Amino acid sequence: MSETSRLLEAENEAAALELLHANGCTDGLPVIIPTPARVERMALASGVDAELSLGSMGPGGGAATIEAIATNAVMAGCRPDDMPIVVAALTAMLDPAFDLGEMQGTTHATAPLIIVNGPMAHACGVACGFGALGPGHRANASIGRAVRLCMINIGMARPGQSDMALLGHGGKFTFCMAEDEASSPWEPLHTTHGYAVNDSAVTVIGAEPPHSVIFQNDADDPTSPDRLLKTLGATLANLGSNNAHFRIGMQTVVLNPEHAQVLADAQMSRADVQAKICEYAVNPTERIRELNPAFARSKTDVSHAVRRPEDVLVLVGGGSGLYSHVMPSWAAGAHSNVAVHAPIITDQACEIPGLSPST
Amino acid sequence: MALRNKPTVALVTTQFWEQGNFVAEARGMPELPRVQLPHPVAGTGSDAMGELARRLAPQIIARLQGIETPAAA
Repeated sequence: MSETSRLLEAENEAAALELLHANGCTDGLPVIIPTPARVERMALASGVDAELSLGSMGPGGGAATIEAIATNAVMAGCRPDDMPIVVAALTAMLDPAFDLGEMQGTTHATAPLIIVNGPMAHACGVACGFGALGPGHRANASIGRAVRLCMINIGMARPGQSDMALLGHGGKFTFCMAEDEASSPWEPLHTTHGYAVNDSAVTVIGAEPPHSVIFQNDADDPTSPDRLLKTLGATLANLGSNNAHFRIGMQTVVLNPEHAQVLADAQMSRADVQAKICEYAVNPTERIRELNPAFARSKTDVSHAVRRPEDVLVLVGGGSGLYSHVMPSWAAGAHSNVAVHAPIITDQACEIPGLSPST
Repeated sequence: MALRNKPTVALVTTQFWEQGNFVAEARGMPELPRVQLPHPVAGTGSDAMGELARRLAPQIIARLQGIETPAAA
């Protein structure tokens, strides 16, 4: 137990749970009681000294020590094998470019979406297919929840006090998925950040909840791929989104494997898809002026909701079918909502067969 | 601005007063001058905002001069 940690005492686990709820340390759901032994075991799985701090986490400025992170990972129900992914996600989010403290305090409905790539996604069972952002996937649920509990207990984000989201967002309980690398016709997302295919890494981006995008392909219609791209662009540029008005910030597009294949069959690369969605995510400036004149700042007739192609984060995930998903963003903060990334360190104390240094 | 030693006063609406206090404490500036505004201010119209500015300007200037004033909106 480090000097920065506080040990609570209770008669039994039921009483300890009530104490944690009463202290505002939970997300409202029951948690695993973080006993010293459980926390120590979780911290060991990080392969890093428990006293090490990844940085201070806003808005409260708490120190994100490995021990504190392990405490929240235990509470979230993580297995020790999940710990390197939690540490990687928080390492990425503590990059100043992520504006975490400001994001935690915004009135907007945004949450960090954690995308896992590489062998660790498979080894830990991070789901990438049907319902990847829904219930039923232990790794997705507990890794994302651990990050959120860190945001609550280390960053001190409390609803209505320091987390000012007006309504909230289901992804503020947990918001984690893997990319479906096996079904994707393109290179894995993390390789676009410079990682090797066999590296494991997380990408984290602030995102609204998923907006469903319906599209039926028609193989007999040569315009079908372009219609899909126009539908995605139009949904990203929906006139209620921050991006439509502020015209900055990265946004997320999760193509289901079927839709991704439609675009790949049209000989489109990921970069081609990004460019076309950027081109099509537009609104008539006059329409913005009509609805929200305070935000009608474009000097041209057309207002782009995406500033440049690389601001469209494209990945493949979910089940195949009619629906892909887009996630507009907060589009604010000093860095306007950028995606950040970090490697998942597996060569220190990872216990997963095939990935640990001893196997 | 306050961290750069520029005279600063934060204008905070009632709805965000508690958050303002939290952030000021967390950033190590618990004494940062703050003036409370009613909520909302945005969208209340130019007449209402002009009237509010006229009413609060003396208080804002006083806080910039280091003079304590009541915080109430």
